[in-house]
Amino acid sequence: MDSEVPSSPSTKIDTTVPVSARIWNYWLGGKDYYPVDKEAGDQFANIHPGIFETARSSRYFIARVVRYLAGEAGIRQFLDIGTGLPSHDNTHEIAQRVAPDAQIVYVDNDPLVLAHARALLTSSSAGGTDYIDADLNNPGALLRIARDKLDFTRPVAIMLMGILAHIGNPTEDDDRAVQAIMGELKAALPPGGYLAVYDSSNQDTDLVDALAKYNESGADPYRLRTPEQIARYFDGLELVDPGVVPIEHWRPDHTPFDQPTRLSANLGGVARKA
Amino acid sequence: MVDLPETGDGQEGRALDYEQAGPMAVRMLLGARLRKLREAAGVSREDAGYAIRGSESKISRLELGRTTFKLRDVRDLLDLYEVSQDERATLLAMAGQANAVGWWQDYSDVVPGWFLPYLGLEQAATLIRCYEVQFIPGLLQTPDYAYAVLTIGDDGIPGPRTERRMHLRMLRQQILQRPSPPRLWAVIDEAALRRPVGGADVARTQLEHLIEMARSSHVNIQIAPFSGGSKAVADGPVTMLRFPEANLTDMVYLEQQTSAIYLNKPIERFYYWNVLNRLATEAAPPTDTAAILDRIRREI
Repeated sequence: MDSEVPSSPSTKIDTTVPVSARIWNYWLGGKDYYPVDKEAGDQFANIHPGIFETARSSRYFIARVVRYLAGEAGIRQFLDIGTGLPSHDNTHEIAQRVAPDAQIVYVDNDPLVLAHARALLTSSSAGGTDYIDADLNNPGALLRIARDKLDFTRPVAIMLMGILAHIGNPTEDDDRAVQAIMGELKAALPPGGYLAVYDSSNQDTDLVDALAKYNESGADPYRLRTPEQIARYFDGLELVDPGVVPIEHWRPDHTPFDQPTRLSANLGGVARKA
Repeated sequence: MVDLPETGDGQEGRALDYEQAGPMAVRMLLGARLRKLREAAGVSREDAGYAIRGSESKISRLELGRTTFKLRDVRDLLDLYEVSQDERATLLAMAGQANAVGWWQDYSDVVPGWFLPYLGLEQAATLIRCYEVQFIPGLLQTPDYAYAVLTIGDDGIPGPRTERRMHLRMLRQQILQRPSPPRLWAVIDEAALRRPVGGADVARTQLEHLIEMARSSHVNIQIAPFSGGSKAVADGPVTMLRFPEANLTDMVYLEQQTSAIYLNKPIERFYYWNVLNRLATEAAPPTDTAAILDRIRREI
């Protein structure tokens, strides 16, 4: 039950500063954003026009990863941290199309995202869906609730899709903070479990410029990381082919259409715990 | 069925089933597509209006799907916008369907004119969000409860009109039984639940019906308790309808005692989206709904 959640995030929706979940919804062509989010999203796109395509390829990456995990990897339990607002083809819809008994637990700490997830990310499949109101900055508390909802003696996939960029304390070494959180999550992962991540690298100068501007807007800052830092998230696990790559190159579907020519700066991968 | 033309640039939305959704949705889609084509052709509303022997506001109404389409007008507009042969055939077929009469028009004798567009839109929606203060939302009412509500509004003497209105309400509810039903996200004020409309037995059966409906994965009910402060943001019922195509905007419907308002300007949509979001975030989470309803049922 949600009532036993120990964290106490505000239930207030802030309509005065842009919020990343809502901006992503705007970039994805959704209808769930405030004027402040559209403005921030457009300003970002002025500097980095590729963001609309990046938003789509990120969703498409998630879809291929979930299909792989529920299919080939046989995963039946998913912990999707940083759910975001409901979109086209959400994690449970993809997983339960492959495996109706797949259980999906969504985690977020934004009140608007949680309200939408509880209302709209519901399922009539055998596996069902559940929700955790928790902050990734406190992985211990998050995992305690997750253990009540999923069976951590059996394989679980932990998904962190475009969420790690929110982690970090400006007064500390960002990398140490995020790697410490990853360490806790990997330690909790049962043998045979999977970690699936994508994160934004600092390899695109337009993106770097657009984010510098965005982070001045009063929004929760978003941090770019080096490819080496992103690769290190998977340390200690066995990477699935093709490793940590630009998301467009991760197990692309065979299609009669051309593959995207422009690559986003997002790097992603999937790894298994032995 | 015709192939759906590519009308949006977003990825959101499922293909629309015309047969299910009825002519209102087809009109909105065709109107939205005509607007895109006009803008792409660089034609002003005024010039387009002139081409079909009408005014700028006639074009506005057509593009919003608020009116039926004359085939001759659509043909002339497609000429003006220099639309390809393939798309012409599709859009003209849509124009034919757009003029079909919705089943709800049969009830125009018993419901006010301002309510008929809502019925068409509700049939076309993929997401219905609402907040109700006084009564259980119409889509979730039992026949006995609906009957009681409808006779409050009448002169107190049930007659053939009441029967027909109740029948209409039950027909509306069939959207929730479709193979791919719309999602209903309702926030209901505790006051509406505690008001024993139709007497204690009717009210109790109604609460049991709500508990049952809330079990469906496409129906989400949240209760706004007396203690919540959020209700100050809405002084009456609010309904927001979402349609499947990316370029069809949400529609806000505000019903009053003797009329209704339909809003879809961006500033109005944002305002009421925020109202519904505040109500939903401050109401009890859906996981508490069954227990709250059961408690109220026992207390009535």
